[in-house]
Amino acid sequence: MDEGDNITRRRALLAGGGTLLFGGGVAYAASRSGSNEQAYVPSNFHASEETTGFGVELAGRPIAGEPDAPVDVYYWTDYLCPFCKEFETETLPDIGTDYVEPGDVRLVFLAYPNIGEYSLPAAVWSRCVWDQVVDSDPAAYWHWHESAFDAQSDSGGDWADEETFTGITEQTANVERSSVDDCRENRGDAVQESIDVDLETGRSAGLQGTPGFVLYNREADVAGKMVGAHPYENFANAIEQIRNA
Amino acid sequence: MSGGADTDGRTDTDGRTDTDGRTDGRRWIRDVGDAVAYPLTSNGRLLVAAIATAVTYAVLVLSSFPQFSLQLLANDPADLPYAVATLTREAYLTTGWLGLALLTAYALLTGVAVTNAVTLVRRARRRSASTVVGVVPGLLAAGCASCGAGVLGTLGFVGAMAALPFDGNLLRVGGILLLLFFLGRAGDPRTCAIE
Repeated sequence: MDEGDNITRRRALLAGGGTLLFGGGVAYAASRSGSNEQAYVPSNFHASEETTGFGVELAGRPIAGEPDAPVDVYYWTDYLCPFCKEFETETLPDIGTDYVEPGDVRLVFLAYPNIGEYSLPAAVWSRCVWDQVVDSDPAAYWHWHESAFDAQSDSGGDWADEETFTGITEQTANVERSSVDDCRENRGDAVQESIDVDLETGRSAGLQGTPGFVLYNREADVAGKMVGAHPYENFANAIEQIRNA
Repeated sequence: MSGGADTDGRTDTDGRTDTDGRTDGRRWIRDVGDAVAYPLTSNGRLLVAAIATAVTYAVLVLSSFPQFSLQLLANDPADLPYAVATLTREAYLTTGWLGLALLTAYALLTGVAVTNAVTLVRRARRRSASTVVGVVPGLLAAGCASCGAGVLGTLGFVGAMAALPFDGNLLRVGGILLLLFFLGRAGDPRTCAIE
């Protein structure tokens, strides 16, 4: 056996070090938390009863931005989806500041419950909260929405249940729990039907998971699809492309 | 007398079974140890193991959300580190430390298995074509074990792993056991007699 076939101390150390480095790298990537601490609250929300040129029904869906913004961003989300939280904390504040606030983009929140058992009930909570605050204080919806994503467990455990969402609803200013409960109990079926419509629209657009996006130029009737928590630059490029289409 | 002989026989048989069982277990563990140490026997093999580990990890993680991975990499292949890092975080948030540890162990063992399989195939090719056929089931087992965790994602069911028992960790443990079985069966590929 030549020297090259022996287990040398150097190689053993190299392999051990490499394995530790690999494990450490994975642990680092897993544990890094969002660095984007900027708080963003859309300054303008509105409701609409229309169905857009792309075929998205807007009735009952939260919409941020100006009603006449040239580009629609349809955002399919799930409160149980960690990847959606990544988008909400890392990228959405920049998109909001650079495109929603100046009136270039309006953001439509659509439901795509797909991660866990409580995904659908969480989507119903969200719609009922929006329904309750849309006329009085639409920004309250945003605070509720943020709190729901904040509540996501950092350890991958089960966190989403009736108790958690009741707590979030009670703690969000200007959201009246009794009205939300009334909506869930008495109009829950209708809300679920509208969520099914969102799901079907998303699937027709070719989305297989969350977060999913369709960017739509309302005047030119041109659309583009994006899937997952892309870096901000990718969103900015895609918005520019669709706007100039 | 005959009763005594019978008793002796049973005792002997039991004794041998126990000893053989322990010996088999010990031999298997020793073979796994030899197999895992094999990539350390040359710089080239160590490099092959490292590359196979990295590629396996990347493929496993990226295939947990293939639509996103393909779109991101088609847009700019330089985004590969971003995709792997983001989906690693996603894997941790979905399955916790245990799931991530199993995924890492999976990738490391696949790296070793690929290195050993390359040697096995080379040796088998030198002997005869029929020996190559003997190696193939082991390779397939290792291959399937490696793809197991990602295959559901590839099919487009992003939430499928979460819906499986223990968030899919059972599937990962199964894959790791399959890999260990393959490694223990082959042992050090230089001394291995393919059974």
